[in-house]
Amino acid sequence: MGSNRTGWLMLAPTLLILGVFGIVPFFYVLYLSFHQWNPFAANPNMIFIGANNFRRLVFDGEFLTSLWFTLKFAFFAVVSEIIIGYMLAQMLTRDFYGKGFFRTIHTLPLIVAPIVVGSVWRLMTTPSIGIIPYYLNKWFGYQLNIGSDATAAFIITVIMDIWHWTPLVTLTLLAAIVSLPKDPFEQAQIDGANRWQIFWHITLPMIRPAILATVFIRLMDALRTVDEVWMLTGGGPGAATRFVGLHIWKIVFPKTDYGYGSAISIIVLYLTLVMCWLLYVGLVAPRVRRSKVNADA
Amino acid sequence: MESPSEIADVPVRKPARHGFLPIVTNWFDRLFIGIYLFVALELFWMRFLEQSIPLAVCHVLAIALGVLIVWKG
Repeated sequence: MGSNRTGWLMLAPTLLILGVFGIVPFFYVLYLSFHQWNPFAANPNMIFIGANNFRRLVFDGEFLTSLWFTLKFAFFAVVSEIIIGYMLAQMLTRDFYGKGFFRTIHTLPLIVAPIVVGSVWRLMTTPSIGIIPYYLNKWFGYQLNIGSDATAAFIITVIMDIWHWTPLVTLTLLAAIVSLPKDPFEQAQIDGANRWQIFWHITLPMIRPAILATVFIRLMDALRTVDEVWMLTGGGPGAATRFVGLHIWKIVFPKTDYGYGSAISIIVLYLTLVMCWLLYVGLVAPRVRRSKVNADA
Repeated sequence: MESPSEIADVPVRKPARHGFLPIVTNWFDRLFIGIYLFVALELFWMRFLEQSIPLAVCHVLAIALGVLIVWKG
């Protein structure tokens, strides 16, 4: 009984912080999502409107478009980061000249604030002064202008995210790869397995939990990207890079529609949880074994 | 001869549960899945069916589905 109480006392600060900064705001946002509330309007009171905010969002073309762009962005960014991050992690398991220097340089983007990343990439992609449009024009004759070309703007936001977050994936996968036991790889080589077979049947299953954890972290981040994209494109041209985080910001701050913004936030949280749960079920959840004996029983 | 306290420390293994879901779940997992499906069904209904069938029907169906998943899933 005494150790039980000590355990709860030691957990108490964490639970308190989680409660104050995680659980209470969640329930407050959930509460707001069922209300119409504009604190700067003539009537600043909260008015209960049931599920009307949710009814509104399933017909809101702007929201659905921003959700589609966000899902596309998250898919391309996360898949690319996992593939490139894995390849870099494999490269870093080998010895080569300048490995320490490369690892340091490669990890630098991680310590740069997203808002700074966005402004730096904006400078690099501005047509008259940016280095990227300059060389694209010089080498390929391509005029890059993310202020008017929606596809180019979208691709540049994905590339910026890959540049910023691939080092995180590399570090987590590198930690997973170097902690793998050597025996299965040696045995596979003795049995004559080629590199692809070793990767597919040994490495990938063994680092699957690390990949899944990394995908969860990156997916959650990608679905709520705001500051980088805000600095780079401001959501434009048109609404081509107005991802759902930016859309919520525009609803909540310039329009001060707190109820509707809360409803969209809840739905984005819901979609994030659903996607993470589906990934968990698809990749690592223990399956029910339905044997003949069990079926007969 | 084991003392009563030693016998009490031995974990009791429950028989494996076989619901209709293809994954191993506890009651909280099934509650979670039930809530997921409840929200999905409500949003789908509001978008496509509410003009012809009232949302109350959806509430009944979604709660019944949730109960079924928690109970038999």
